Amino acid sequence: MTSIELDSVNKIYDSEGGEICAVNDMDLEIQEGEFLVFVGPSGCGKTTTLRMIAGLEDVTTGTIEFGDEDVTDLRARDRDIAMVFQDYALYPHMSVRDNIGFGLRLSTDIPESEIASMVEETAEMLGIEDLLPKKPSDLSGGQQQRVALGRAIIREPSVFLLDEPLSNLDAKLRDSMRKEIMELQQQLGITSVYVTHDQTEAMAMSDRVAVLNDGELQQCGPPEDVYRNPTNQFVAGFLGSPSMNFLEATVSSDGDTVTFNGDADFVYHSEASSIAEALGDRNRCTVGIRPEDLVVGAESGFNVTVTVVEAMGDENVVYAQVGDAEIRARVDSQHRLSAGDDILLGFDDDNVYLFDAETGDSLRTKDLDSAEETEKRITSPER
Amino acid sequence: MSVASKKPDLPVQFGVYISLLIVIVLTLVPFYWMIVGATLPQDQFFTYPPRFLPGTHFFENLADLRDRFPYLLSIWNSIFVATVYTVLSLFLCSLAGFAFAKYEFAYKEYLFYFILATVVLPVQIMIIPLFLLMANFGLLDTHIALILPFAANPVGIFLMRQSMKSIPDSWLDSARIDGASEFQLYYRIALPSVKPALAALAVILFLFQWNAFLYPLVVLTSEELFTIPLAIERLVGQHRLYFDQIMVATALAIIPITILFLLLQKYFVRGFAGTAYQP
Amino acid sequence: MSIREHSSIQAVRTEGRIARNRVRDSLPSFPGVPYLYILPFFIFFAVFLAFPVVYTLYLSFFEYHGVGEGFLFAIDLGVFAVEVPRISNVEFVGLENYTRMVGDGLFWLSMWNTVIITVFQMPLMVLVSLGVALALNASFIKLSGLQRTLIALPVSANFVAYSTIFLMIFSEQFGLANYVIQLVGFEPIAWQSDRWWARVMLAITLDWRWMGYNMLILFAGLQNIPGRLYEAAEIDGASAWQKFRYVTVPQLKPMLLFVIVLSTVGSMQLFSEPFIITEGGPSNSTITILYYIYDQAFVYFNLGYASALTYVLVGVVTALSIIEMKIGGED
Repeated sequence: MTSIELDSVNKIYDSEGGEICAVNDMDLEIQEGEFLVFVGPSGCGKTTTLRMIAGLEDVTTGTIEFGDEDVTDLRARDRDIAMVFQDYALYPHMSVRDNIGFGLRLSTDIPESEIASMVEETAEMLGIEDLLPKKPSDLSGGQQQRVALGRAIIREPSVFLLDEPLSNLDAKLRDSMRKEIMELQQQLGITSVYVTHDQTEAMAMSDRVAVLNDGELQQCGPPEDVYRNPTNQFVAGFLGSPSMNFLEATVSSDGDTVTFNGDADFVYHSEASSIAEALGDRNRCTVGIRPEDLVVGAESGFNVTVTVVEAMGDENVVYAQVGDAEIRARVDSQHRLSAGDDILLGFDDDNVYLFDAETGDSLRTKDLDSAEETEKRITSPER
Repeated sequence: MSVASKKPDLPVQFGVYISLLIVIVLTLVPFYWMIVGATLPQDQFFTYPPRFLPGTHFFENLADLRDRFPYLLSIWNSIFVATVYTVLSLFLCSLAGFAFAKYEFAYKEYLFYFILATVVLPVQIMIIPLFLLMANFGLLDTHIALILPFAANPVGIFLMRQSMKSIPDSWLDSARIDGASEFQLYYRIALPSVKPALAALAVILFLFQWNAFLYPLVVLTSEELFTIPLAIERLVGQHRLYFDQIMVATALAIIPITILFLLLQKYFVRGFAGTAYQP
Repeated sequence: MSIREHSSIQAVRTEGRIARNRVRDSLPSFPGVPYLYILPFFIFFAVFLAFPVVYTLYLSFFEYHGVGEGFLFAIDLGVFAVEVPRISNVEFVGLENYTRMVGDGLFWLSMWNTVIITVFQMPLMVLVSLGVALALNASFIKLSGLQRTLIALPVSANFVAYSTIFLMIFSEQFGLANYVIQLVGFEPIAWQSDRWWARVMLAITLDWRWMGYNMLILFAGLQNIPGRLYEAAEIDGASAWQKFRYVTVPQLKPMLLFVIVLSTVGSMQLFSEPFIITEGGPSNSTITILYYIYDQAFVYFNLGYASALTYVLVGVVTALSIIEMKIGGED
């Protein structure tokens, strides 16, 4: 169990077309016992970062520390870590028993009899004691996943790394394994770093979530904070499903009223002072509204035509056209909407996000009170 | 494969079966003939019309053969040379193939395609210089001279690279985290993961050496070092009259490998399909 | 925070690690590993493959006078010295070895023999192996696997050993072949003493040895044709012949080409069979090119001339393969 500190970590690959910066100047502290999730689209550098923490990938510049120890140049096997891979990486020629005990046999001098009993205990903890004599190819995906977890935790590592461990499982199993991993991590209290491209998973599992894009850390914080107060348009759009609606608009101010003129037949007047404050003297901005904040049958709003309705059960996701832009709204299924309906979509001033039209930086987020609080914790990316 | 919805007419089916039967009989006759020859006493061998039923004289013929020529030693020589050669070549090819499949290094692609290009060269192109090399090393008329030359086998490195490429990087990374050294990655993870390909390659290499004739003919001169092909050639050349004994020799050369073929058929087939080498 | 009672694990681990790392760290560091892995292969490759290939070419411009003595050159670096021996005693003759071939009747005869045997042998073998592969792949055939195994049996036969059996089968007086031929009412055939029949005999022998091998390759090719192609053809109303012509043939073409090129390359290097069965006779009608090279090199020790012949053989084989692939490649 240890803390992890990344200090100005860069990863640059040489490629035929020149240098590619996979991770750019990453600063990050992971607390002892914390469950931190890296999330971002593919190619954002999250797996590269994890592999640098593991010691499987060289750090181009910068340092990585575990506790007070600089591990930047330490080999993977000397870092006292364990890792779970997307494809589980079980050795097909070894039984489950040998797979779980492999690391102990290689890196410790624990006598064989003790290894055997440790393997038994670990298997019991994960409920896989019946599988010990089997080969990995005889196991289902979920069972293989448990074996991979067993192989990782038996070594009592100080850092636990997980690289998209659930993405090969079907949806139902994924939900139950998600819970199991969280319980296991809480029980063992091992500092854990988890990589996923699935924002739902990231939100659900993490103590803190770190959003990456294009090799840069966009924002890191507790999931609710990041969700409510994204630092920029990318983070706002990445977290939440369906993702946030963005409408570009020109802004004109007339005393107390700010008028947004969307590029797509979208007009919106607001009298809220906080909006005017946030905008300053800008005359363009991007307006963001989360799908769940759109209301059908409000008194004011904008007229749209429903194009597609996805039934989700008690809720429906409604896709509608506003000029050229597409709007997604999550509405109660009682509204019984169907394609072709004309509806009025409204929203509350409090739920409006504003982003700088050029940089994408947040100008106004949802919860003004907590925004100031969390600002101290949020490491804002350097541009 | 053909999923004919309707079977062809019965006469057509019958014709196909008859044709296959003829092919099978023609295939098996020489094997049968060999057994007949090996088990008949010598005086019943050169008769006309020829005999069609096997006799019971196999062990007498074998004893006569052993008086004439140290043939069991030749069998041992063949097994020894082919086995050592196969192990050496498997080691060289799998280790280098592992590097080509799972590591990045300078000029990797060039080096690999350079090796691969030599696949098209017939073995014969190397024989004269190999003879001279062995003469200079003082290795003429030794088994080492048979074992060393074709151990760096381009087909072997190709097959090994192909199969090891399919090993997920995560297995190796996982082993690295588990504390494996780089060499342990090779022999504890990579090698066991490609066992079927290793077996197929072993079959190719073993048969290549087992069947080799021209090069051993050039290099070996002492009868006690002879491999099976050389021994049979010597018997045919110098003892042509003792065909019963020669047939015992061929039977001992062919039957064990045929049994091996029946047992390990899938590796044989996989090996043949994976090689453009007709040794 | 351990959930188990193995409190000693950390201490033991550290101790073990230190000891192990001492060994590991004496090994080359990470970036050197791949080079270390390819080094043994490349040493063997350079000495026993690359060097001989080049040296054969070199020798083809020389006349050989015996195994060399002394050193070609020596490198002395104090700590270690490399002495490169002169492996042969040779005299430069320019293109003489190549021009000599033009007037060498036996060379042309051996080329002709090799080509004739190939022409006799290959079409029959490819057709039969294709036919057998198709038959064994047909859905109505029972025991397909067993039949395949039996037909493939010769692939394991030692070249010299099986040649010896055929030497006996084609014995003119006592052989099985002539017995059967007389049984059905024909005159016995002069397998060993007639120039043309001797070549036919070698072709039959080769067909027996390689038919099963090629059948296995073609059968694998047939198995790899996706069943849905036949289903689609069936729905499109194709007849059995049309399915063969428009699905099987184009899909199998790469494999057929592979088999043909492989067989050509193999036949052009024919050696064991004529060496054992006919000893090149009668009157040199079954001397193959490789047989001739062997005679020149290791009976007469004209290693320079033999090297030149080898390169010509390689050239011819390469040219034939390219021609076959060109013809097979276009449709």
